[in-house]
Amino acid sequence: MSFSEKFYQNFIEDNRYMYLVNGLKNTLIITVFALLLGVLLGFIIAVVRTTYDKTGKLKILSLICKVYLTVIRGTPVMVQLLIIYYVIFASSRIDKLVVTSLAFGLNSAAYVAEIIRSGIMSIDNGQMEAGRSLGLSYAMTMLYIISPQAFKNILPALANEFIVLLKETSVSGYIGTMDLTRGGDIIRSVTYEAFLPLFAVALIYLVIVMLLSAAVSRLERRLRSNERR
Amino acid sequence: MSAGEVLIKIEDLHKSFGSLNVLNGISTEIRKGEVLAIVGPSGCGKSTFLRSLNLLEKPTSGTITFEGVDITDKKVNVDKMRQKIGMVFQQFNLFPHMTIQKNIMLAPVKLKLMSQSEAAKRAEELLVRVGLPDKANQYPDMLSGGQKQRIAIARALAMNPDVMLFDEPTSALDPEMVGEVLELMKELAHSGMTMVVVTHEMGFAREVANRVMFIDEGIIQEESAPAEFFTNPRNKRLRDFLSKVL
Repeated sequence: MSFSEKFYQNFIEDNRYMYLVNGLKNTLIITVFALLLGVLLGFIIAVVRTTYDKTGKLKILSLICKVYLTVIRGTPVMVQLLIIYYVIFASSRIDKLVVTSLAFGLNSAAYVAEIIRSGIMSIDNGQMEAGRSLGLSYAMTMLYIISPQAFKNILPALANEFIVLLKETSVSGYIGTMDLTRGGDIIRSVTYEAFLPLFAVALIYLVIVMLLSAAVSRLERRLRSNERR
Repeated sequence: MSAGEVLIKIEDLHKSFGSLNVLNGISTEIRKGEVLAIVGPSGCGKSTFLRSLNLLEKPTSGTITFEGVDITDKKVNVDKMRQKIGMVFQQFNLFPHMTIQKNIMLAPVKLKLMSQSEAAKRAEELLVRVGLPDKANQYPDMLSGGQKQRIAIARALAMNPDVMLFDEPTSALDPEMVGEVLELMKELAHSGMTMVVVTHEMGFAREVANRVMFIDEGIIQEESAPAEFFTNPRNKRLRDFLSKVL
């Protein structure tokens, strides 16, 4: 069979490319929602932890956060996904896309929390003191002075987390979520041809990651030009 | 010595970091309009004392009464108190992600003490006062050390504080930039601002201060008017200190 015949068989016949299109759509949905949840929850965890480190307040909350980080980071994301789907949501018929997004969001939160925390810690203590000495509260100083600077410092790490997350979601097929990887795999199982569908999947991941990396370096440059001549 | 009413009254202030006792019972008063210079060897506790005055360091014991309120009392709103106590740091601590104008406007606007336009007008006035009216839209990283410190002073003044604390304001500056900052502080002192200045600039202490305080080993070893302080020091440690720095 020639290459063009194979190509036709794998992607065109029976509209098989739609497996990839729908899979990609789901992969992006999962990644975006997981990241949103991860950043939101991660930010809360990071603030709780740094507040405890800096002021000694929120001790119990900080302890809970620490346990959360230990458990999430100490177990594989696939195991977490399986547990969330087969144990926690075992009796409810909830959409797989939602479960997957939730699982990856909860997982990502732990990593994002540490990224944000390192960002907050990287800001010189003099900034906090300057804010407080002007009469701004701890929260206001965090919001207007520390966070914007911390965000800029962690942007590359956060983007990297987004990229890692995008690739990690490729295991969501294990609970039957129709993501990009699963889409390619279905084509493979129908056509008994591994090379084309799997390389197509790999290529799509690669292109998205490269686009994301380019977008991030542009954003970084723009943020930096704010400060310098 | 200035005869204004007492603005800050410090009684038996102690501060320790773990087992290290930094302040060992400091009592003094700071009067309205007074310029108090604090000198002493490195690690003597002078910065810790200054930083206690706006509770950047929490005293271990003792009281600080500011405008009649004991600010070491846990029930007191520290943020409210700090609005009236300006502070200038050795390392400037300008906000690098904001323009000079935004640096000055931030606190008054966010604390709802001024509207945007009022704060902008105030920033403009202050920039003229510190001699940098053309820097409003630049970022801190574009300025020299001396300029940064003058902006830091303007930022503190934007809150219309009743007292200004200076923590070694010229120690991080290149020698040729020390003068411009001291000149501004001198102008500020002549305008009647109450100032507490931790400094190594003996010339400034002698010329501008109403009172000079020598702290060593966490206690006030000597305090007097500058003429007396520099020409007729009684304390032996002070004599040693002065012989090294003058």
